[in-house]
Parts: sequence; C-alpha cells; structure tokens
Amino acid sequence: MKRSIRIASVAIAASLVLAACGSDDAADTAAPAGPTDTVTVDPAQTEGGLLAAVQARGTLICGVSQGLPGFSIVEADGSYSGFDADYCKAIAAAVLGDADAVDFVELSAAARFTALQAGEIDVLVRNTTWTATRDGAEGAAFAMTTFYDGQGMMVNTDSGIDAIDDMANTTICVQAGTTTQLNLESTFAARGLAYTALTFEGNDQLQEAYFEGRCDGWTSDLSQLAAFRGTWPAEQGGSDSVKILADVISKEPLGPLVNDGDTEWFDVVNWVVIATIQAEEFGMTSANVDSIRAATNADESPEVGRFLGLVDGFDPGLGLDADWAYNIVSQVGNYEEIYLRNVGPATPLGLPRGVNSLWTDGGLLYAPPFR
Amino acid sequence: MSATTSTRPPVRRVAPARWAKDNLFATPFNALLTLIFAPLVAVVAWWFLRFLAVRARWEIVETNLTLYIVGAFPRDQLWRLWLSLAILAVVFGLIGGLVGATTREAAIAAGRPLTTTRWDRVARLGPPALLLVSLLGFARTFTPFVLTAGVVALGVATSLLARRLPGAVRRSVPLIAVLGIVVALFAISGFGGVPRSAWGGLLITMYYTIGALVISYPLGILFALGRRSSLPMVRWVCGAYVEFFRGSPLITLLFTGWLVLPFFLPADFSTPTLVTRALTIFILFTSAYVAEIVRGGLQAVGRGQWEAAQALGLSPWKQTRLIVLPQALRAVIPGLVGQAISLFKDTTLVLIIGQQDLLAIAQNVTKQDEFLGKGYIIESLVFVGIVYWVASYWLSKESQRLEVRLGVGQR
Repeated sequence: MKRSIRIASVAIAASLVLAACGSDDAADTAAPAGPTDTVTVDPAQTEGGLLAAVQARGTLICGVSQGLPGFSIVEADGSYSGFDADYCKAIAAAVLGDADAVDFVELSAAARFTALQAGEIDVLVRNTTWTATRDGAEGAAFAMTTFYDGQGMMVNTDSGIDAIDDMANTTICVQAGTTTQLNLESTFAARGLAYTALTFEGNDQLQEAYFEGRCDGWTSDLSQLAAFRGTWPAEQGGSDSVKILADVISKEPLGPLVNDGDTEWFDVVNWVVIATIQAEEFGMTSANVDSIRAATNADESPEVGRFLGLVDGFDPGLGLDADWAYNIVSQVGNYEEIYLRNVGPATPLGLPRGVNSLWTDGGLLYAPPFR
Repeated sequence: MSATTSTRPPVRRVAPARWAKDNLFATPFNALLTLIFAPLVAVVAWWFLRFLAVRARWEIVETNLTLYIVGAFPRDQLWRLWLSLAILAVVFGLIGGLVGATTREAAIAAGRPLTTTRWDRVARLGPPALLLVSLLGFARTFTPFVLTAGVVALGVATSLLARRLPGAVRRSVPLIAVLGIVVALFAISGFGGVPRSAWGGLLITMYYTIGALVISYPLGILFALGRRSSLPMVRWVCGAYVEFFRGSPLITLLFTGWLVLPFFLPADFSTPTLVTRALTIFILFTSAYVAEIVRGGLQAVGRGQWEAAQALGLSPWKQTRLIVLPQALRAVIPGLVGQAISLFKDTTLVLIIGQQDLLAIAQNVTKQDEFLGKGYIIESLVFVGIVYWVASYWLSKESQRLEVRLGVGQR
C-alpha cells in the first residue's frame, strides 16, 4: 500500500513536469521572439515563410469546400473544377509554374479555420465570407475578393410571396452552422417577422425537404440558390416553379485567405487574384496570351510588358518567376474565363456578371497597377 | 474417431410446411403477428428491390465508378492498383486456404459438422459475388472484366494450393502474408508511384481498414497480456493506455491527430502525413478495444490450463502462445470480428478531417453539373450503403463459418 502511494506520487510529479514542459513549448510557439532558439512548429510562422515551403514541396495544399456547385466539384476523372478550385490552380501556376500541382483538401465549414491555423493547408479558397471577426480574432488574412455574393431567399412561384416582408409565420429551410443562419435570424428579427427555421446538414437533404413541401422558403447564398434553381427537376415543375426574391439580406464577399503573419505569402495570393482581373482588363485570355506575348514590344506597351515579365530589370519583388502572371493566364485564364466557365450564364448556376464585373463596366473588380 | 462422431446428435431436418407451422403459426398470437408483419416485410422488400432494379438512376454510379473506388488517384497509374490487387489476392487466398484447411482438419478431428452445404455457400458468397457482378456491369470497357476474372482466379488458385502446403511452409504463412501486404502497398506508392495523400474512395477506406487491422490486432493482444502481467509497471501502463483510448471518442482523437498533434511534435521532427496520422489513430483506438476483448478471452481460460502447461515444463512464453492464447482467441472470435467490422465502418469519419473516402465522394458527386439538384444523393448513398453492408456481411459470415468449425460455443 505504502509502495503504491510512493509510485503514484512519482507518477504525478512526472506528469506535472511533463505538463510544465508542454506549456513552455506552447508559450515559445506563441511568442517566437523568446530567448530560446526553438524553431517554431508552424511553417507559416518561420522565417523562410510559406512561399519557400510550397516551392520546396512542389505542390500547393489548397483547402476547398466539400462539394459546392460551381465552386469546387470533383469530376468523374478525379480532377477538381469550379471557381474556387480554379483559384487554387492559379496560385499553383504562379508559384510553381504548374496549375496541376495542387493537393485539394476538402474542409467542412467548422474545420476550415482550424485547419488553416494548424498549417494543414497553405491557402483556404472555400467560399469564405470576409468579416471583421475572421480577419481579426480568427487570425486570417483575406486576399482581394474573388466573388461578391449575397444571401437571398427562394420561394415557390405560386406561393404569393413577393418579398421577405410577406413571409410572416412561414417555415424557412437553411443549412446549419453557417453565417446564413445568423443572417436569417437578424433579418427576420429586425423586420419583426415570426418564422420557424428548419436546419439541415447539407443542401441535398434540404432540397429533399423542399420537395416534400416542408419549407416555404429556402435561404442561402444567391449563387447556390441559382445553382439549385437552374437544375430544378422537371418532375418538380422545372426552374420556373421557384423564384428568387429580389431582397438581398447580406453582403458575402468571398475570397482566398491565408494565415496572418506571413505577408510574403499573403502578397503572392493577393496578386494572383489581381493578376486574373488585370488580365481581363488587358483583354488577355488563355487563348490569345501567347500571341500577345509574342507581339508585345516592351517599349511600346510597358504595362503589358511588365505584366508578362518582358521588361528587363522589372521585378515586383513578390518572390515569383518573371512569367508568373503569364503562367496564370495561359494555364487557368483570366477572371472572365474563370467566371464564365464555372458560374456564368452557360453553367447550371447561370449567374450574370452583375457586380462581379470590371470597374469599367460598373462592377467592383479593380486591379491596382503593375509597376 | 468414428465413436466421437456418433455421439453428436443428428441434424434435424423438417419439411417447410412443418417449419412454418412450428415457427410462424404455433399459437393464435403468433399467427396474428405473422399475418401482420409478413405483408409489411414483403412491401418493404418489394419497394427496395423495385428501387434497385427499376426506379434508381444508376448513371451517377456508372459515370463515377472509378471515382468511388479510387478517388483522385491518377488514372494513368491504375495498373499499379491491379498489380497490388493481384498480390493481395495471393495473400488472402493463402490465408483463406490455410485457415480453411486447418480448421477443416480440426473440425474433422473433433467430429464437428463442416457446414458447407450449398445453401451456406450461397448465403456466404452470394452477396459479394452479386456486388462484384453489378460493379462490373457499370464498367464501360472490357478490361476490368478480364483483370477482375484474373484476380479472382488467382485468389481461388492460391487458396486451393494453400490447402496442400506442407507443414513447414504453413508456419511461415503469417510472415509471407505480412510481406505480401507490404509489397502490395509498395506496388502502389513505391518506385515513383502515387503518394497516399492522393488515394481516395474505397481504396483509402480499405487501406485504413486493412492497415489498422494488421497492426492493431497483434498490438491489442500484447496490451491484453500486459494488463494481466505480474509486473505492476507493465500492468499500469497497459491499463492506462487502454482506458485512455477507450475513453476518448474516435472523432476527438482524429481531430487531435489532425490539428493538435502538429503543435506538440518537436520542431525538428517533420510532421507525418495526414494519412499516416489518421492510420495511427485508428491503430491506437482499435488496439485498445481489441485488448479488452482478448482480456475477456484470457479470463475465460481456466487457471488449470496454465498449471497444466507449467506442469509440462513449458516456458511462460510457450504457455501463453501454445496453450492459453489459442483458447482465449477462439472464445472471442465474435467480438474480434465485430471490432473489425466496426473499424471498417468507423473509417468513414475521415471525411471530417478532409479525406476523400467512399462516403465523402458519395456526397460530393451529386454536385457535378450533370447530377446537380436532381436528388441523386439517394442513389449515391444507397450504393455506398450496399458496398458497406456487403463487405460487413461477408466478414461476419466468414467468421460464423470459422466459429462452427472451431466449435465455439460447444464443449
């Protein structure tokens, strides 16, 4: 009995020491400026930076969503397509010169920030809304917005509902655990409308419930509502049996994000987005970029020359090869191509450009100059 | 020998009409229950079969069959998988044939029935064969037929061969099997092959299942023995291990291995890949459960068996290996197989740590342009459900056969 007590006390002491060591390490990680020469665990926080780590690894690890129409879809041959997936490919093209050098990691909404903070992914391109809390407390840094979305409401055409104000005492279906649910609450509370929320794990299940008549309204990002409306089955009345209300109840600027504290990597991701927009401003597409590059005289059109890396001695200092922007445009395309290919009018989403147009066309896309 | 056989009661055979009267209409109450539930069962079965054969739109499975099976695995490297399948067919043919032969010999020696009636065989092999045939029905080219036939033939041939192996070779089969599995793994990922991070679908599901089974079962036996050790330190460490992993939810452990573990590893220690971490978690988790199952079996072995083994002058290691463990493991076959099935199904949890396993793909394919918004999720999930059910059912049937042959539950 006495012996076992002694052993137990030794064990407790040992575990206390271990615990103390553990917390010391954690403190070192949190404050890299500490006196010890400990190398921090997270590659994003090391001096070499994520850019060097990605280049050494040879692949980009990109976090995307677990199947989102128009944004990230896995095709039958195992490749990824979609708006978000294309931005992963564009970053890989810029950093590694190969748009196919991407490892896609599919993340749930709940796990995405933790995965980014833990360094499991290099960049998160997962239809994530840029908010103050995420930029601040979550420790994320949002690059330029790639897609300006908003939350809307879809109802049956014959429901007699023409605006959200008509929706008192209705049942509204929404995906669980998203900002969508919070926006729904605050919108209806602000207008003093009583409603019942039915929450679902995924859009497939939600749609089944809608077919069964359990929902009066379906609220989600407009791009997602458009995707489901565009493919509404004929036996359920086809696309015309449902309509999307004109009310937009929130702003949802979606874009890629990286961890705070690695400005070099942030700049790279940011300028990849800018390059796709700049290419559209130049009228440069994956089809004509080669002929443009061949025909460009750097003295006559210095802006295009700088963009394509043809001006000797011009290096923006992003840590990328001179032809990084050329690689993006030739391998992935400009913003317009990415948009039309994945979410444009010819796709199931069928979205007009709207605010996602160049500033010259009355949209919000504006590329800072390449100098 | 024949004397032993004759002491067993003869198998009772009853006419179907008599069986129905005894079991379904024995009392008025039973007759009422039968009349209520038989149509109900018939309706559900009819509904399900009609769905499978007529109503279901299987084109989503047809289009994405390769994706379901291998995920994002590069399509120009698929030959590696076939090679690896051929190696695994040899390994499992060898194990199956050998276990079949030895248990058959044991059953004959003990005068137990072999239970290889035609109905047993159909019930055991029918569902997997049916699934394989339907999978091949979805294939669009001729090559999968030829290759599958080749792999199946190879497995059957090896299992027939294994029955005739001399004793000396038999003893080295476990080693050959482990080597074979390692070689099969290398055939896919070694020599410029495909890294495990690019595996998906059924492939990654099977990798986690087989990998965790092969490592966690021996480990679990060691922990079970350790927990009964006379050395207090060994006993406590094994006990603490088992209690910790059995007391934590698998999903928590997976999350920890995914997101928390990298923070605790030494800085100069490169973090293992996500697949390795997840596999490790499955091994740690399963071995804790196996340890408790095996410990139950060890407790069922009477003290007299140890003493008899000691009286024969066997070393402690031999007492355990030759006398106690075989009896203990035989007693807990249902529990061990149940844990294997449970592990197989638990691997679906990797979808929350960003892995593309069979279930994750089933949910993802419905977002393809062709299938979006048309309720294909039902077909996709039913298909995956059938795959899981058939595999679990087959495993369970094989274990039942083993139990009968080893006379588990009979003394």
